[in-house]
Amino acid sequence: MGATTQNSGQLQEREPCVVNWKGRGAMKIVVLVKQVPDTEAKIEVKPGATSIVAENITYVVNPYDEYAVEEALRIKEKLGQGDVTVVAMGPEKATEALRTCLAMGADKGVHLKDAAFDGSDSYATALALSKALQGIPYDLVLCGKQAIDDDNAAVGIELAELLGLPHVAVVTKLEIGVDRRSAVCHREIEGASEVVETSLPAVITAQKGLNEPRYASLKGIMTAKKKPVEVKDAASLGLAPDKVGTQGSKAKILNMSLPPQRAAGKIVPGEPPDAARQTVKLLREEAKVI
Amino acid sequence: MAQGVLVFAEQREGKFRKVAVEAVSEGKRLSDKLGGELNAAVVGTGVKDIAGSLGSYGAGKVYVVDHPGLQNYSSDGYAKALCKIVAETQPSVLLMGCTSMGRDLGPKVAARLGTGIAPDCTALSVNSDGKIVATQPMYAGKVIVQVACPTATPQIFTLRPNVFSPSAPDESRSAEVVQVDAGISSEELRTKVKGVIKATGATVDLTEAQVIVSGGRGMGGAENFKVLEELAAALGGAVGASRAAVDAGWRDHQFQVGQTGKTVSPVLYIACGISGSIQHLAGMKTSKVIVAVNKDPEAPIFKVADYGIVGDLFKVVPIMVEEAKRLLADQ
Amino acid sequence: MLGIGGKIVLLLCIVGSVGLFLHAAMLRYRLLRLGKSEPRLDRIGFRLQKFIANVLFQRSVLERPLPGLMHALVFWGFLVFLLATMNHVGEAFSKGFSIFFGAPIGDYYWGLVDLFSVLVLIGILALAFRRYVLKPECLTFPSRESAVIIVLISGLMISYVLAEALRMVPGTTESDRFRFVGAFVAQGFRPLNLSEGARHAGFMTFWWIHILAILFFLAYIPRSKHLHLLACPFNEFLLSLRPKGELTTLNLEDEAAESFGVSKINEFTWKDLLDFYACIECGRCQDNCPAHLSEKPLSPKLLIQDLKKHLLAVGPTLMQKRGDVAADTQPAEPEAPTIPGSVISDDTLWACTSCRACVEHCPLCIEPLGKIVDMRRYLVLVESRFPPEAVTVFKNMETNSNPWGIGWSQRGDWAKELGVKKLSENPNAELLFWVGCSGAFDDRNKKVSVAFVKILQTAGVNFAILGEEEKCCGDSARRLGNEYLFQMLAQENVETLNRYKAKKIVTTCPHGFNTLKNEYPRFGGNYSVVHHTQLIMELIRTGRLKLKNGSSSLVTYHDSCYLGRYNDVYDEPRDVLKAAGFAITRLVRERRSSFCCGAGGGRMWLEEKLGKRISEMRTKEIIEKGAKTVATACPFCLTMIEDGLKEMNKTDAVQTKDLAELVAERLSTS
Repeated sequence: MGATTQNSGQLQEREPCVVNWKGRGAMKIVVLVKQVPDTEAKIEVKPGATSIVAENITYVVNPYDEYAVEEALRIKEKLGQGDVTVVAMGPEKATEALRTCLAMGADKGVHLKDAAFDGSDSYATALALSKALQGIPYDLVLCGKQAIDDDNAAVGIELAELLGLPHVAVVTKLEIGVDRRSAVCHREIEGASEVVETSLPAVITAQKGLNEPRYASLKGIMTAKKKPVEVKDAASLGLAPDKVGTQGSKAKILNMSLPPQRAAGKIVPGEPPDAARQTVKLLREEAKVI
Repeated sequence: MAQGVLVFAEQREGKFRKVAVEAVSEGKRLSDKLGGELNAAVVGTGVKDIAGSLGSYGAGKVYVVDHPGLQNYSSDGYAKALCKIVAETQPSVLLMGCTSMGRDLGPKVAARLGTGIAPDCTALSVNSDGKIVATQPMYAGKVIVQVACPTATPQIFTLRPNVFSPSAPDESRSAEVVQVDAGISSEELRTKVKGVIKATGATVDLTEAQVIVSGGRGMGGAENFKVLEELAAALGGAVGASRAAVDAGWRDHQFQVGQTGKTVSPVLYIACGISGSIQHLAGMKTSKVIVAVNKDPEAPIFKVADYGIVGDLFKVVPIMVEEAKRLLADQ
Repeated sequence: MLGIGGKIVLLLCIVGSVGLFLHAAMLRYRLLRLGKSEPRLDRIGFRLQKFIANVLFQRSVLERPLPGLMHALVFWGFLVFLLATMNHVGEAFSKGFSIFFGAPIGDYYWGLVDLFSVLVLIGILALAFRRYVLKPECLTFPSRESAVIIVLISGLMISYVLAEALRMVPGTTESDRFRFVGAFVAQGFRPLNLSEGARHAGFMTFWWIHILAILFFLAYIPRSKHLHLLACPFNEFLLSLRPKGELTTLNLEDEAAESFGVSKINEFTWKDLLDFYACIECGRCQDNCPAHLSEKPLSPKLLIQDLKKHLLAVGPTLMQKRGDVAADTQPAEPEAPTIPGSVISDDTLWACTSCRACVEHCPLCIEPLGKIVDMRRYLVLVESRFPPEAVTVFKNMETNSNPWGIGWSQRGDWAKELGVKKLSENPNAELLFWVGCSGAFDDRNKKVSVAFVKILQTAGVNFAILGEEEKCCGDSARRLGNEYLFQMLAQENVETLNRYKAKKIVTTCPHGFNTLKNEYPRFGGNYSVVHHTQLIMELIRTGRLKLKNGSSSLVTYHDSCYLGRYNDVYDEPRDVLKAAGFAITRLVRERRSSFCCGAGGGRMWLEEKLGKRISEMRTKEIIEKGAKTVATACPFCLTMIEDGLKEMNKTDAVQTKDLAELVAERLSTS
């Protein structure tokens, strides 16, 4: 293992990392979460920057990851036993996101915190997470289908590949098999739902509609303060600086800008029948949504 | 030395998806600028015969992995197949449509090949280093980002549908079809599709719908929702309702959009006869594009709508249905 | 007067009765000790005043004039008869006993007793008529206890009069000169020509009936709803003197706390438990409760009664367990059953709109509202079990400081074009306009904010707003039971306000008004807070605001719960309307008896699935008054009544306007 993909001109297939999973017994679930700006946050870009202004905006747990956490808790409750670990990569304030998940009912947290991780693309993120998961036994890995900041929708799938696990993405329903070695998922595709059976362990990415995340009770918030959160930096994961962060990223952001000011909505002119026709045309050609 | 462009052309039930054609067309434009080949990759069952048609959009060779176990999408199977083709063709750029399949296949292949991926691109260009620079929206479109893979190959990009123009097909040109044996056995496919449940307007969960047509107090009655159902069907969407319509008993509560109903975030939200109270907006304001149809020009919904039609919805919506059916016939 | 046998029998009966009375009363007293502590002995002088007014003068009971008067007669009669009863017992053991020792004042007293024997009888029979013939909905049917007391009291009066009359048949003495009832009835006996033996026997019969009835009554009081007789005076004296609009504050810092809010009977305070004893099931709370009247499963009366039954059912076991616990044995915490979800259903608890009509109209100062909120607190903070619509609201308040979840950075946008300065730009402003979430984000209510700004600018007031530094006041969160979220918002707001050294605040929302004025002081926020109707009246009064003499229009004014019942602001809004040239048609349910719009208690954010629509009921009432304009002074009321009008398709016929809008239309700019 450890085949490199430096630009030697030769493409090599990446061999998966060693997989580490628990066999029978209580189900151990790992949930990947990310702290992201709230959907309503006013986003500003520093001039000449490749990232947004992080100050003075509200951060939340990525909504899609909330579905994943909730699902993990429901599985644990249904089976009557089990362990839910939440893992997040992010700066110092990402601990808030971990505490929120612990307040919902997760048992422990792992925080990948290191300045070296800054600027990681989906590959570098998946790589760091895969190293972290090597230290944690699991039967199932859950995460949101995408993070609402970069909207890449790639980390979960890339992580599965690096761990050598199967994955089912954009899942709206999850049923763990009685033997806990398989699961049946409903996966959302265009205009339909695919019913997919997968072996476990696997990576499942959660879609809206999977469940309704619970609201953490005050009791939950108070007990969360005492739950353990392990902090890991790049070195402790055995990752050299050139494998993480901007250096380790395969896709690099060259620049970031705000789109042209969204034109104020317009009343489509003309008599209603003409306006109707024109609107459909605009939806197709201008807005490009149909 | 990696060179040229490879386009993964997605097909569905023996027909190439529109975005596949758009991707091939864009791939040709890029390969012309880069000075290399444009090839296509097709994976599935019984797809040999349609492969050659991609030549009319500029593909030189079409590499096909045709295997009985690949009738339905399988990430293991398709990834293995595509990686085999990549290994054989060694492209510098790999394109595919940003569809449900593309969103799944792209990252898996990127990780397997240890390369970078930029999804949902809305524009592609070639920079002075001969590398592709992609335009990708982030933060739900509030930010535009320029992304590139400076060193990793192949540079993978998934293209947003309905953005890139398909070139006019040149029927005289046909691509060379190359069959590839990826050595796939059905047993190694760890995920299996057991069935597909087609979504109809009634069974699709509003929170998952990409297009929602909603009716409010202006609908006047349960039976009047039929015209909204037609529009939703034409656009491949679902029908929602405002609280006023649900309270009046015209629609079931599971279709209520708003503060005390469901929060939706479709790509397109068409509000008919809905005034746009703050409770309703709370449930749909994150929709990408909002269209409002209301006979009251002062209705608050027009403040948030991207496109507003002031008029009688019963005159407007049927025309929209007609127009939509006409425009989307070729999707 | 009695022979030795009689004395012994009477003594035994007295001992027995007093014993039974003490046994039951002591048990109930000890049950009170199960409750948590709560200091209620502040401002003794004021409490005494209220006590005298409400108990001795029956002021709160007399709010319902006729039944109230009947009750007052029975109550005053009860007090008057106390001495008579003591005398009754005294004369049994000591011949010629007189409690007045022969002093002339005794004669006047016995005349008074005679008068009341008739008044009490009239009172009790009138109340019986009300119960059995008129059958008002507020009373509990059937009620054996009521039947018993009616028979008892009537029997007591009749037996007293008859015994008295029979005693006076042979002749009266000087000291009998005021006993006109006795004399009158004695007249009626004389024609019967009873033999001395028969007369004496008759007298003794009624004499015994009277004393035995009293002794039965004594033993019966603590075992029935008439425990009210003991509990009520204490309840009136110990009434809550906190500002009406302030809910109790939970200590959420306590790391060792196992639970929050109230889920078990012993988590109520002793005063809450006393409330249960005081309730006589008169049903005035129920008659004024919008939830009950709209057929929701909540009746404040039944809530109190169910909790009382629960206390009497499980209390004794809890006391026992506590008593058994010695210092060195396991500190087994007695497990009382969980109340929310079983004794009191979830639906009952969520139906409340916190309008405060129940507390306001209870003649005995019982407070159902605080108990409901305490149980909601348990459901939210411990069980996390509450209507799912509230999850969104809570999360929105946490993330964006408003219930709709609109980006907090947009909170000041409504005022952008109006030349309104933020406090950060104008820190020396004399007045802070607290806009509130509705005024800042809701399209309809933004118009009210704009109108009010116009008024302030015309009057030349130096004011400012907080803009995006303002956060939701937290009223809905607190009333829904999310005390944690409320305290977080309160602390953040107080910090901001104190940082700016805010002194005078005006707001257009009664909920914000109530919270800032009555609840923020406990978090270190002490400001002079006024409602915009009060400020407008002040500006008119001092001549800073002049209004055009417009044509006199008819307007209906709807009193908001949080402005009216909570803060007693009834006159200023009416004065403002009059000054603006409006004539007010009065609603039947106005002022203290105003009917809630249905949005309070956090219910603005919840689905109304059970019973009828409260907002529609109120709107119907308003429409029936015929005015073309409904005036409100609250963004919730404005929204609910407008919605009600839309439902009934009356938006063309009737318009709803806030007072600020009505005044702004009539400003004289000269």
